[in-house]
Amino acid sequence: MHSFIDNALLSRLAALPIESRVPMLGNVVGKHRSPHRGSSVEFAEYRKYVPGDDTRRLDWKAFARSDRFFIKEFEADTNLRAYFVVDASGSMKFSNKGEAKIQYARRIAASLAYLLVNQGDAAGLSICTDKLHLEVPPSRRAAHLERFFSTLDKLEPAGETGLIDALHTIAEKIGRRAFVVILSDLFTDPAVFGDVLQHLRYRKHDISVFHLMDPQEIDFEFERPHRFVDLEDGTSLVAEPNLIADEYKTALHDFLTAVRSKCHDASADYQLVTTDTPLEPLLREFLTARLPKSKH
Amino acid sequence: MLFLSPMFLWFLAAASVPVLIHLINRRRHKTLQWAAMQFLLKAARQSRGKKKLRHILILTCRALGIAALAVAAARPIVSGLIGWGGGSIDTVIFLLDRSTSMEIKPGDGLDTRRQIVIKKVRDAMADLGAARFVLIDSASSKPQEIPSPEILADLSAVAATDTAADFPALLARAAEFLTDSTGRTEVWLASDLQSSNWHPEDDDRWAAIRATLAALPKSPAIRVLSITGPTATNSSVRLLGTRRTGDELLIDLEVVRAGDVRGSATLPLTTHLNGARSTETLTLPGQSLRFQKRVALPAGSDTGFGWLSIPVDGNARDNAAFFAYGPARPAKSLIVSSPGENADYLELAAAPPGLDSLSTQRVDPEQAANAITADLSAILWAAPLPTGTTAEKIKGFLTSGGQVLFLAPGGPSNITFNDLKWSDPSEPPAGKFFILKDWNHSDGLLRDGIDGTPVSAHRLKAIRRQIPLGTAIPLARWEDGEPAITRRVVDRGSAWFLGSIADYTWSNLGDADVLLPAVQRIIAAGADRFDTSYLASVGSDTARILPGETRTRLDDQDTPDPANAEHLAGVFRFGDRLLAVNRPPQEDAPEILTREALDAVLEGTHYTLLDQAGQANDPSLARDVWRAFIVAVLFFFIAEALLCLPNKQAINLKSEIPNSKPATP
Repeated sequence: MHSFIDNALLSRLAALPIESRVPMLGNVVGKHRSPHRGSSVEFAEYRKYVPGDDTRRLDWKAFARSDRFFIKEFEADTNLRAYFVVDASGSMKFSNKGEAKIQYARRIAASLAYLLVNQGDAAGLSICTDKLHLEVPPSRRAAHLERFFSTLDKLEPAGETGLIDALHTIAEKIGRRAFVVILSDLFTDPAVFGDVLQHLRYRKHDISVFHLMDPQEIDFEFERPHRFVDLEDGTSLVAEPNLIADEYKTALHDFLTAVRSKCHDASADYQLVTTDTPLEPLLREFLTARLPKSKH
Repeated sequence: MLFLSPMFLWFLAAASVPVLIHLINRRRHKTLQWAAMQFLLKAARQSRGKKKLRHILILTCRALGIAALAVAAARPIVSGLIGWGGGSIDTVIFLLDRSTSMEIKPGDGLDTRRQIVIKKVRDAMADLGAARFVLIDSASSKPQEIPSPEILADLSAVAATDTAADFPALLARAAEFLTDSTGRTEVWLASDLQSSNWHPEDDDRWAAIRATLAALPKSPAIRVLSITGPTATNSSVRLLGTRRTGDELLIDLEVVRAGDVRGSATLPLTTHLNGARSTETLTLPGQSLRFQKRVALPAGSDTGFGWLSIPVDGNARDNAAFFAYGPARPAKSLIVSSPGENADYLELAAAPPGLDSLSTQRVDPEQAANAITADLSAILWAAPLPTGTTAEKIKGFLTSGGQVLFLAPGGPSNITFNDLKWSDPSEPPAGKFFILKDWNHSDGLLRDGIDGTPVSAHRLKAIRRQIPLGTAIPLARWEDGEPAITRRVVDRGSAWFLGSIADYTWSNLGDADVLLPAVQRIIAAGADRFDTSYLASVGSDTARILPGETRTRLDDQDTPDPANAEHLAGVFRFGDRLLAVNRPPQEDAPEILTREALDAVLEGTHYTLLDQAGQANDPSLARDVWRAFIVAVLFFFIAEALLCLPNKQAINLKSEIPNSKPATP
């Protein structure tokens, strides 16, 4: 049993489906809307009959009323493929007041992956550092979850972030529409991050961003001078935190505002989360917000 | 600045604690693996400058707050007298003004200025501890070492006197003393800054003193304890002169009310004469009153003495004027003139009928040399200026204090006397007169009367005149600006020149408006030299004991102080001499030395002026200023707290995190 799996939490969240906000392309029938017309019971539209159409789909009642042939089309339901992109750079190792950001990312990814597979969708995992180095392809099988969890479990954050390259690669590599969940502290240039979000959006992926921060990184409260050593490249700086707290918070605020703006521009779900935030309300709110309005 | 508890000054070292803590903290920092480095680097870049300055200010406030606390605990005493870093003074030379003016009481106390400053200096010396203390008082001008400041007030060398101070002389003595002194020395001058005591006009003496001080191996610090400010109500009486006429003594007096007083006032004036006493009420119409008091002498009294006094007031030492007198001596004058109208008028003016105390003799110019004798009061010379033996005799007469009035000779003359001569006679334009226009109302032959009544000199008109030529002081001028009356002082006497004569072909001088007062004043001035032998000022050569003499005080106006007898006013007998000794006239001069004048006389000495040291409500020359340092402590700590306050506009990032709350355990 993995430490980041909370069975009680998962059982409580099981009733909430994970919905896609964009139509999905799948190879099996699922519960998610597909861009293709299919055999679902949900009516989509009428269109004129053209030779070659399946005559079984002719609406005879419409023919009787209008003396014209109409084909009755229904929504097609398909399955969802989710890609969890977990930033495994050195900065994700940081923990001070709460748990490490990587551990929090593990818990989110594992919980959502379980819920997805449990509802018949596929979940895949991409781990990125300065280059994309580990990938678990999406699968609907329950046995696949164990591989998913094991990969998460073995994850050791190190080095500089390769999130941007990883996301560009995913955007190009995934042929069909997918649900991309990004779990990172996003310590990169917001403009570049905005570009990669636009890239994903261009490929019609459904994007969710979990921006993970440690409470200490937000509060920046210290009682004495510190020598700060960068977790990614080892750069160090001796500083009196009280003296630079205002400037630090201003810089961080600018960064968060920019990231939020970029996510908004790319129609991505954005969740700024500190690692001391309880997981259940976070996921419950996340899942509820994704429900179609008629299902609320 | 002195400290009553200097051991607390060790706590000044604690001022470095905040800085040390800061430096140690910087060295003993905690290492932290940090993720959000990009913001930290940006913040560090931006916080240089303003934030660093703020932090330095915070540290400074902490250090200064602690330092001020340590200083306050050390009980600092600060004063302009002791000065900063005054704990190591080796010698203090105290120059004390013991003049009469120092005996005035400030308006807010019972002690005199002299007593107040002595107490304050005593206390200040006690604070200084083991410093050597040397007193030079203005009366004796002798340096004397004081073994303990506690006895200062009891010394006869600091007691009240009726002398005048001479600060150039005192500083010269101090400089002389300092040539043999080593270590850090301070000179404290206690004075009411009476200008007459400082002689600011005596540039040569002051220059010499400054040069002497500058030449010392180590220049002393000079502190001037200015004892000025409001005083108690005071009136003074001053003897201007005495003259005996028969059985009557004419005493010229001046009574002055000090300060800016208005309206009239009455004062009882008591006359003490040979043991008898009488009092009359004197009405002062303004600030001062000059008048002549006639005192009837006992029949057959050859010599005697007495004094006039007013009640004791703010200054107890200026309320008496002493006098003494000798046998009656008629005032004799000599008229040197050819017979004629002018000589007749001069004779009438010199010895008016009915005044037995005045006599005159008339001689021709050729006989003048034989007629000039030492007992003459004045010579009235209405002839060409003297020459030869006569001139020499007249010069001798002037040197001994005689008075000579030279009137216009009445014709051209090139004779000079003491570089003075007459111009040729001149006449005004037809139908015009030479009219006397400007004359000195306070000095000279035409001065106003002692009661202020002016002489009717404007009535003098001339149709002929001769101008006195040469270096002499003009005391009256004609309408066209030419001098009518001049004076040339020759040693103790004076030679007067009047540019017309009492003849109807010259002027109306014979009308007595000018001639009578002028002649009488010349005779009185000449006669005064016989009467003034009974008067002297304290400290003057006349008032010193001559070899073989002993000093005996005759009056009982004051409690005699044998140790200070030579510095006190009173009536004394010096052997065969009878002498009334009064305070020097300059002690009644109210002028105070200005700061500019003080700067000028002490230029280059870097002196310190401690103002208002004579106020009784200011208990000490030194002030306990620990409260000021406590205020400074509060100020620095409040400033530090304000600087440490967080920025009100600081960003609250937590509000941007929707689900942020502590995790449920």
